[in-house]
Amino acid sequence: MRAPLAPPTTALVAEVVDLHVGFTRNGRQVEAVRGLDLQVRAGEVLGLVGESGSGKSVLSLALLGLLPEASQPRTRGVVRVAGIDMLTASPQVRRQVRRDTLGAVFQDPMTSLNPTMRIGRQVAEAAGSGAEALRLLRAVGIPDPERRLGSFPHELSGGLRQRVMIAMAVAGHPALVVADEPTTALDVTVQAQVLALVRRLRDDIGCSVLLITHDLGVAAQVADRVAVMYAGRLAEVGPTAAVLQAPSHPYTVGLMKSRLSLTTDRHRPVQALRGGAPDPADVPPGCGYAPRCPLAMDPCSQTVPDPLPVGTSAHLRACLAEPSRVQDLALTAAPVTAATAVPAQRVDAGWAARVGGIEKTFRVKAGRGRKATLSALRRVSLDVREGESVAIVGESGSGKSTLLRVLAGLEQHERGEVELGRGGRPQMVFQDAGASLTPWLTVGELLDERLRTEGLPRQERRTRALAALAKVGLPEAVYGARASELSGGQRQRVALARATVVPPEVLLCDEPTSALDVSLAATVLNLVQQLRRELGMAVVFVTHDLSVARIVADRIAVMYLGRIVELGDAEEVIRSPKHPYTKALLAAVPDFGVAPPALKGEPASPLSPPTGCAFHPRCPLAVPDCAQPSLDVGLERLRVGADLLLDADSRRVACIRPKEL
Amino acid sequence: MLILVAKRLTAVVLILLALTAVLFALEQTSTSDPIKTMLGPGASQALVAQKRAELGLDDPIAAQYARYVTDLVHGDLGTSYRTRRAVSADIATFLPATLELALFGLVTAVLLAVAFAVATTLRWPGAGAFRLLLMVGASAPAFLLAIGGIVVFYRELGWLPATGRTDFVDAPTGPTGLLTVDALVHGRPAVLGDALQHLLLPGLAIAVGPAVSIGRVLRSSLVTTLRTDYTRTARAKGLREVEVMRKHVLRNSIGPALSMTGLQVGLMFAGVLVVELIFAWPGLGQYTAQSIPVDDFPAIAGVMLLLGVAYVLINTVVDLLQAAADPRIEA
Ligand SMILES: Nc1ncnc2c1ncn2[C@@H]1O[C@H](COP(=O)(O)OP(=O)(O)O)[C@@H](O)[C@H]1O
Ligand code: SF4
Ligand code: SF4
Ligand SMILES: [Mg+2]
Repeated sequence: MRAPLAPPTTALVAEVVDLHVGFTRNGRQVEAVRGLDLQVRAGEVLGLVGESGSGKSVLSLALLGLLPEASQPRTRGVVRVAGIDMLTASPQVRRQVRRDTLGAVFQDPMTSLNPTMRIGRQVAEAAGSGAEALRLLRAVGIPDPERRLGSFPHELSGGLRQRVMIAMAVAGHPALVVADEPTTALDVTVQAQVLALVRRLRDDIGCSVLLITHDLGVAAQVADRVAVMYAGRLAEVGPTAAVLQAPSHPYTVGLMKSRLSLTTDRHRPVQALRGGAPDPADVPPGCGYAPRCPLAMDPCSQTVPDPLPVGTSAHLRACLAEPSRVQDLALTAAPVTAATAVPAQRVDAGWAARVGGIEKTFRVKAGRGRKATLSALRRVSLDVREGESVAIVGESGSGKSTLLRVLAGLEQHERGEVELGRGGRPQMVFQDAGASLTPWLTVGELLDERLRTEGLPRQERRTRALAALAKVGLPEAVYGARASELSGGQRQRVALARATVVPPEVLLCDEPTSALDVSLAATVLNLVQQLRRELGMAVVFVTHDLSVARIVADRIAVMYLGRIVELGDAEEVIRSPKHPYTKALLAAVPDFGVAPPALKGEPASPLSPPTGCAFHPRCPLAVPDCAQPSLDVGLERLRVGADLLLDADSRRVACIRPKEL
Repeated sequence: MLILVAKRLTAVVLILLALTAVLFALEQTSTSDPIKTMLGPGASQALVAQKRAELGLDDPIAAQYARYVTDLVHGDLGTSYRTRRAVSADIATFLPATLELALFGLVTAVLLAVAFAVATTLRWPGAGAFRLLLMVGASAPAFLLAIGGIVVFYRELGWLPATGRTDFVDAPTGPTGLLTVDALVHGRPAVLGDALQHLLLPGLAIAVGPAVSIGRVLRSSLVTTLRTDYTRTARAKGLREVEVMRKHVLRNSIGPALSMTGLQVGLMFAGVLVVELIFAWPGLGQYTAQSIPVDDFPAIAGVMLLLGVAYVLINTVVDLLQAAADPRIEA
């Protein structure tokens, strides 16, 4: 273990001193970084946390000497890497530093690799030779690396692509690897694998890692120290344990509280940070966090707080409030109010929607001009009761969204039935609200479109539309705005208003929060809960995030490769998962504890699902029978012999070894 | 890739069939009477009837079309009313000059386009002036450029010749018919230089317009590619800027520019035909110009068919190049 609590005299691989970075965007001054001091010590993993727009990526580009020239950056201060100031050195010198000292991993492995160049050549460019490229691909755990050398990026899964990026980053033994949100675009089980890989490589190579993430839980798992950034400045920095156990800045406290975990109280509204993420084009004087800070005092709006030591010299905070007040803040929780608690589902309720034995395949291109059949749904059955909320969870490609689209009638299925209750067609809310709102229509026209199907007079339509906007917490002014003029969170609210302005019996949500920052995600989740309560709708909520599923749902259905493998009461499924896949999924959720054991293997491809139980290649309980081509594991009540197991009347699992579960 | 090639070739055949059908229909509905053109206005009724029967003009339309296509497949484009030679033989005579001019124009256009795009994207010194010059040139039609070029570089400055392909009476005429190539084959550098001088003005006249169109597309796709994440990755590896450009940026930017080149080739054909007239270039433009006033339908149709084939083939090649450049493109 390399000195996580090393004194400040330890050798530094990078040092940022009073860094300012500004851009000019549409004629407005954007202050992305405003006086930042930060050190990266030799051999450490430094986690850098903050909401989007807090300046994390700009800092990483400054370290790499790659600030976008087209945006005409204005810089001040020093960014020293290997003794070179990356702000003022000549392009040749900066390039040499990147070559010899730095490695980089970016967020989106899909777009960060050259789509027209073979993997082997891309890695060899950084590694110097084909042999070294092969060694690196093997070192980052790419199966069958000889064959992969000749692959193009689009032929690899997201997790493998990110491994390739990491292979390039650690080529040539860099002193510092800058990883900007390296796991944000990945599934949880893959995220766990990649984080484990980052840590292992650090131990093997001895490089430092600057791990940028918006998720405090991710930083908690691998970082030796954590730095929290807000509005282009440092809010807090210190050893991971110190920052997590005794957060000493109100923003850190806010981040921790708004973070959903598997133990978040389901009966309170999710705590959201007040207001929106910082706007670097409009930074207040004084403390940047003041507009959102529950502890803000008069001096906060004039004085810019500098990072000062709390207790140990290794833990710094930039806040004017007494540390004890921040600690009190950490201990208070939002009150439970009768109005916010979600009603327990009605047991006697009829069903609002049901699907039975749905099969859905797609014809897809399989390379070299061949077509292949992709099994998106393989005999899926699910009942949604009136007023009930069901969450569908699973990794990308497991068929969650397809199931939702079949329910919505947006997709033809080959076999099976879809039945809807009295309420008629369900309404749908998508992940990318921006893309689902017609750009040239105003919000008013969008809502009007829905209301006209009800045959209401014009004046009443307007009243109803305004009421719907009020219900989702949008001001009247939004009525005349177009989607492009709204922020991401506002668009998602508009999408919700459109879906509920004529209350449907079933509301379908496809990852409506996964493109949003923690604080925005929290408000949208609360909104969905509130609408559901007030309008008595059933909700089917697709998410890859188990903590979200647990908050929003009465029941959880876990999908793997086009099948539901476990179905049961939300709290129960999370508390005592039965199916091996559910267990793996839960274990991979990052939290403030130790690093999770990574599930072996990549999610299999729906183009050729493994025979028998499709999970068998990754299942720790698998026996030879599990791979039998003739095996057809259905969703069954859990029973051992003739006895039903605990909570078995609601729990169903697809596994042939129920005794071992 | 093989499947892609097969698919594209099938498409080519279908397009060409459609083209022949159009040409055939045009011929049928044409107001001019080929027999009169052939025999002259004073021919007797009997002679006309005999000639009609001889040429099969009294057969059913379908049979006539079938014969037309069969002849085409065998390389028989009919007989020119004007020269009384096989149209295919006429074309063989005039094609090399046109081909040489068109190829020279195309290569020049592409070179200018790449220089224009790279220079302006990377803000090379002098890029602004170069860009202005090209834009002014491209705003004028090819024939105006040609005339302007003649006025300035031939009449006023006397730097370049204004007519024909060569000043050498003993210039080689084989084996390819492309004067520059034949000069090389026969080891006559003086003829080569002279031929290039003759090509310069007409070639530039047809190249400037397409160069700007292609260059603009290439430029915007370069700008887009330079902003991509993978370009940033390439830089983060510490590659030199030339390597970044050559290995990552250019390759990923040529797709749209290739499509544009394919489109511009069609426009260039039109430019070539007009410019040939101005420069007294002994090519298909001249041949067509002489055929039109006398309603020499087989000759005109032959040239049109040839240009159609060339256009379709070039665009097929463009498609295949794109597929080769981008592994994500599937059949
Ligand atoms: N090239 C650029 N031109 C103008 N503004 C930029 C540019 N890059 C980043 N910004 C702005 O700087 C601020 C900080 O951005 P960023 O570092 O990407 O935040 P984070 O990575 O923490 O989400 C944002 O408001 C962003 O829009
Ligand atoms: S300085 Fe004031 S506004 Fe800023 S975080 Fe501390 S208490 Fe809040
Ligand atoms: S059926 Fe076999 S492979 Fe599938 S989950 Fe059960 S034990 Fe694992
Ligand atoms: Mg970022």
